[in-house]
Amino acid sequence: MAALQTSAPPAPSRRQARPRGRNKRTLAQRLRHDWPLLLLTLPALAQLAVFFYWPSAWNIIAFMDYSPHRPFWENPFVGFAWFERLFANPYFLPALLNTLKYAFANLLFLFPLSIVLALVMHSVVSTKVRSLFQSVVYLPYFFSWVLVVTVFVQTLGSDGLVSNWLLDFGGERLTFTSNPDSFLFLAWLQWAWKDAGWGMIIFLAALASINPSLYEAAAVDGASRWRRMWHITLPGIRPVIVLLLILHIGGILNVGFEQYQLQRNAVGYQTTEVLDTFVYYRSVIGTEGPSFGTAAGLFKGVIGLILVLVANNVAHRLGEQGIYQKS
Amino acid sequence: MATPSDRSPLRRRSLFKVAGLGAAGAAGLPLVAACGEIESGSGTSQATEGFDFLPTYKEWPLPVEPDLVGEPPNHPSGFTTYPEPVPAIEALPSNSGTFEITVPMWGEAPSQDDPYFAAVAEACGGTTVNLRQADGVTFAETSVQWLNANEFGDGIMLFSWMLFAHPNFQETVVNSFYDLTDIVKGDISERWPLLAGLPTASWGQSVWSTDPNDPETARVFGIPGSFSGGPGNAMFARTDLLEAAGQAMPTTVEELLEVARAVSDDANGRWAFAGTDYLTPQWFGLASGDGWAYIDGKLVHNCERPEYTEWLEFRRTLWDEKLVHPDTPTGTLDGQALHKAGTIVFQLDGISWWQGFIDQTTAEGTGGTIAPLGALSANGREPLVHVNTGVDSWTFLNKDLSQEQVEEFLDFANFCSAPYGTTEYEILNYGVEGTHFTYGPDGTPVFNETGTAVVQAPVNYKTMSGHVQQFLTGTPEMVQARFEYNASVKDFAEANIFEGMRVEGPADFKSAGQVLIDQQNDIAFGRADLSSIPEMVETWKANGGETGREHYTAAYEKLHG
Repeated sequence: MAALQTSAPPAPSRRQARPRGRNKRTLAQRLRHDWPLLLLTLPALAQLAVFFYWPSAWNIIAFMDYSPHRPFWENPFVGFAWFERLFANPYFLPALLNTLKYAFANLLFLFPLSIVLALVMHSVVSTKVRSLFQSVVYLPYFFSWVLVVTVFVQTLGSDGLVSNWLLDFGGERLTFTSNPDSFLFLAWLQWAWKDAGWGMIIFLAALASINPSLYEAAAVDGASRWRRMWHITLPGIRPVIVLLLILHIGGILNVGFEQYQLQRNAVGYQTTEVLDTFVYYRSVIGTEGPSFGTAAGLFKGVIGLILVLVANNVAHRLGEQGIYQKS
Repeated sequence: MATPSDRSPLRRRSLFKVAGLGAAGAAGLPLVAACGEIESGSGTSQATEGFDFLPTYKEWPLPVEPDLVGEPPNHPSGFTTYPEPVPAIEALPSNSGTFEITVPMWGEAPSQDDPYFAAVAEACGGTTVNLRQADGVTFAETSVQWLNANEFGDGIMLFSWMLFAHPNFQETVVNSFYDLTDIVKGDISERWPLLAGLPTASWGQSVWSTDPNDPETARVFGIPGSFSGGPGNAMFARTDLLEAAGQAMPTTVEELLEVARAVSDDANGRWAFAGTDYLTPQWFGLASGDGWAYIDGKLVHNCERPEYTEWLEFRRTLWDEKLVHPDTPTGTLDGQALHKAGTIVFQLDGISWWQGFIDQTTAEGTGGTIAPLGALSANGREPLVHVNTGVDSWTFLNKDLSQEQVEEFLDFANFCSAPYGTTEYEILNYGVEGTHFTYGPDGTPVFNETGTAVVQAPVNYKTMSGHVQQFLTGTPEMVQARFEYNASVKDFAEANIFEGMRVEGPADFKSAGQVLIDQQNDIAFGRADLSSIPEMVETWKANGGETGREHYTAAYEKLHG
């Protein structure tokens, strides 16, 4: 029988007493320890503060009858009057519907194209062919929309290269660069040419992170090329697909501006009016003023935030990582 | 009371947060509830005559009389010979200031290092005016933002048509620009004789009220540009191509349609027209400007008139019959290049394209002749010709300048107002002899390559202030042709029903007008049916048209009683 312990056990050292994982340091200690790292974040923080948070603070003018010609504090608050005006505008709903149409078309037809392109690229063995293919496919991403639209008009326009060839062979002029009914197809062609390559690069980076030994092991086990793609490649890039999908959904009302504005005359405003062009024509160069445009921007932002949160939540429920790791 | 557990959503810290947010929200509610109405953009109407604070007009005697004497403003006089220039300003001021003035520029902006700029600075008495040249195509729209941000240097030059792009220009003027009234009021002929020689109507049109509801607050805010009349735009025909095709110049809209059918060949890449959007309404008797006409005791907008449907039918016919270049809807065509190449036979352009075509085709050796169509009309109506009805432009100075700076700039503006036949005009409009031009056999200045690139730019010092009198100038043949053209159309000039007043429509009216233009293009280019016009008009009325009618009717009644 063990002797009765009459004295208190020796106090454990402070370090030993602390349970694992609760080794918290004071703020001062952490600052002393991490200041070089914090210093490194300063430029990014400054950039965010100047170009994002400070301009974001001006969203308040969506609730004011704002005029740049009077001191800020003299602008009267008008509550949600600008939002009421926005929703009552007969051209707002068509612009919103067009935006959603192009956004979903982009999501449905362009997003998978980038994945397919990445998979094709990944399967090309020759380095030379791969780098040539990669350059050809993603170079148009760096072209401006002005150039993209001009190239399309010059080649596929009514007086373009192809139309003139067709005329030489007794055919008719192409009209689809100025036909509102086929604009969605035209827009898709332009996205595919301009943006699919860029999306591909991101998926390629994800593909590079898959351990090659998995493919070797699967091949040894007799897995076909298709089975390897289905069971190794796609699960390997699934987190990236989900992440990009969520970000796409969040930015669903940001379908861009130039592509639609540049082709507005050609196919008409009813086809190309999206939220960004609506704001531009009503607020920036129109007569509604900055408060109206800010209200529209805020509406877009709030919808985007809600969509990101919902999509991220759904991703977490499906066991995906989403845009951040759930702790 | 039980302490909330860690899992409870009502932990103490959360409670504080919720309470804080609630308090903030509660504090904000009265703010939201106590909100006012949106007040901006209700439109203005500004009288432009009958003031006692304008510069006193004192005629500036012309050094030489014009060869062709017209009836200004719609039929200006002209020079078919180049007079020996004489100095307009006897005692040059001694200045040394520097100004940055924002101006529109169409084409490539010349280098500010060119000797032209230094020569002008020396000739005007030492003032250096640096030009901030911005793209003219987007100038009207972007100028709205520069002015809002007070980012336009020491001044800005705006053409009168650019004012339509500003949602509330009256507010911009009185908040952004220098009030010149106290400086230019009364007799200014001693220091600025050329500015005193500008028509009183020009200065009257440079007036805005600080409070649009109070006429007593009217002040002079701009230095007026030239007061030019006559047609500002025209439909130019390639007369050589018409002749080759055995066609005569059309004199009615019906004849024009027949000629267009005869000269168009879609399969072989030739069309009668590219743009047909502006100017063509006048062929159907429709009004210019904001589109109001006084008919049967009330103001009626173009879109409410039967002639509007006729006009759109005409444009649609041109499109359906492939008489218009198929890429016209893209808005990316270079109409002037197509006109020079003979791809399009009729070019809708500013009146300056007449001289521009001759200059460019002569320099390029491509040849061809053009002439504007006369006063056309459809269905046997009396022709109507839209004409310029006021000053072409203004130079506005920044309100932050000092009085001394403003006075110095007025010295410069006085210099720029020198008319044809003066040494000041010559250096401003032709540059330095030997560097930018040489005298031709008939004594007329002829630009060299540098002069064409630098001095012949559409906007620079030469448009910074109006001339005491505006003449037709250029090659003798062109001056004669323009003189005769103006004489032939002047009797059909549209009367300005708002003469003596500048009316700026309400924001809703402007917004509805923009939509109407989009819908017009839908019909003209086959994207919508003509049967949609009544619905278009109803939409226009409901979304700003009626508001506009009330505003313009009030202005009209103020003018005419």
